Amino acid sequence: MPFLSHGSYRIRYELDGPAKAPAYVLVNGLTQYSELWTPYRDALIARGFRVATFDLLGQGASDKPALFINQDDQVLALHRLIGELGDEPIFLSGISFGGLIALRYAIEHGKRLSGLVPMSCFAELSPQLLLIGNALRTGLILGGTGYLQDLLLPMNLSDEWLKPLLNKLDSVKRQGWLVNDVYALQNLMESFLDFQPLTPQLSSIAVPTMILNGEFDFLTPRALHETLRVEIPDSALVIIPRAYHAFTLEKGALTADLLARFADDVLAGRWRGNKAVWIAPEDPGDELTPFPAGYDHLRAIPVQGTST
Amino acid sequence: MSGFFGPLDPEGRVPPHQQTRAAAFLISAHGALARQFAFTLPLKLQSAWQSELNAQFYRETEIVSLLMRATTWVPDLALCYMATSWETAWFPTPIKGISDSLLAQAVHLTTLAHAVHAGIRPAALLPIEANANDPFAVALRRIEFESGRLLQAQIMFLKGPDLVPFRDVVGAALERRHTELRKLWSDALESVGIAVANNAGA
Repeated sequence: MPFLSHGSYRIRYELDGPAKAPAYVLVNGLTQYSELWTPYRDALIARGFRVATFDLLGQGASDKPALFINQDDQVLALHRLIGELGDEPIFLSGISFGGLIALRYAIEHGKRLSGLVPMSCFAELSPQLLLIGNALRTGLILGGTGYLQDLLLPMNLSDEWLKPLLNKLDSVKRQGWLVNDVYALQNLMESFLDFQPLTPQLSSIAVPTMILNGEFDFLTPRALHETLRVEIPDSALVIIPRAYHAFTLEKGALTADLLARFADDVLAGRWRGNKAVWIAPEDPGDELTPFPAGYDHLRAIPVQGTST
Repeated sequence: MSGFFGPLDPEGRVPPHQQTRAAAFLISAHGALARQFAFTLPLKLQSAWQSELNAQFYRETEIVSLLMRATTWVPDLALCYMATSWETAWFPTPIKGISDSLLAQAVHLTTLAHAVHAGIRPAALLPIEANANDPFAVALRRIEFESGRLLQAQIMFLKGPDLVPFRDVVGAALERRHTELRKLWSDALESVGIAVANNAGA
């Protein structure tokens, strides 16, 4: 298990695939660990990519600072990892908290990237997200990691995914419970206490950007992704049908296919963001559909709206 | 060497020699906290934060009492010298950079309590097939759960305004305590066949 040094801390990472290939760097969500990207690693390597995954500070097998975790340190650790990848094109993707770290990296070190894929992401804390975050933190404090998982699972995954697992949820939660420590999760959550919105800086992201948002994402709804679409010049928003916040777990094959196609398009010079809104297919490999013209993609009912 | 207790007996219980070693360590650590909270606790509470001190004292005492009754004890000669090294480790250590002795004592006690409550996860050592109704397993789950709550008082103090001028000193002292405690805990467990360094891949 290789580690990078970041100051006195160690960052656990994994690097697979051909060295002389474009690379995908995948950034975990708050309660995740890098093994959860295994299906992506396999799928992307099969499509000719090199894949880097890692545990953020405070997660999994990386060191867990006892008292404070600064988001700047997460960006620096990511920068150090990307520094290991040589000169080949780099595509950066992250989900939720990891998407935010990816956005921050793109703002600070965008020249090193060939493409960016924020997933279930946000650039600012809306009142709803702030209050939900506070409630999740209280849940963690009062009920531990298990209770936080109990809150997140039904919020972030579909009935179709949960139904066959209802009788074995303890085993579904177990690995996440084992690798996550209450104090470390709390430190990660409290790294938002001095959070400043990224929205004013989004326009500086010059790289092609594909924004992925689940159709039914409750935690980070469409409006938060819309900020990214409107502000990032060469972006497009892709809505994943029937998906919730944690669609990377639920729709791994489809998402990995979208990641590979985005990078292929960018590398072939075919990508045109145009701040377009697309609907992803239900199955990997099928075509994306433009969001119907004249309808408001921010609404859950077919209301005609004005495009921006 | 496994990352979990075991092999379990046919009823899904942790082997007594592992129960004895783990419980002895936890009693030593939580017992030290109970003693030190007791010495710090005035007979008459003078300020609001001392009510938290009172709660911490009784929770630590409860944990010790629970372990003494829930553990299946067996003779363990190695405990003689191991317990001595543990008890020595709980002594206050000087904290360079904080000249106020009362504040330094508070930082010592809080960093020790943070390391015990945050860094030691006894329930994470229970394999999935452990008997959920076994008193020892229940005790470990309860201790881990209570530790997460007790920890909040330590976090509030260590991140609070009183220690802002000493943030680097306190941070370094806390990391040292965590490292020291993890080493003692992993040594105690490794001597009964349990590797705690990495449960992630288990």
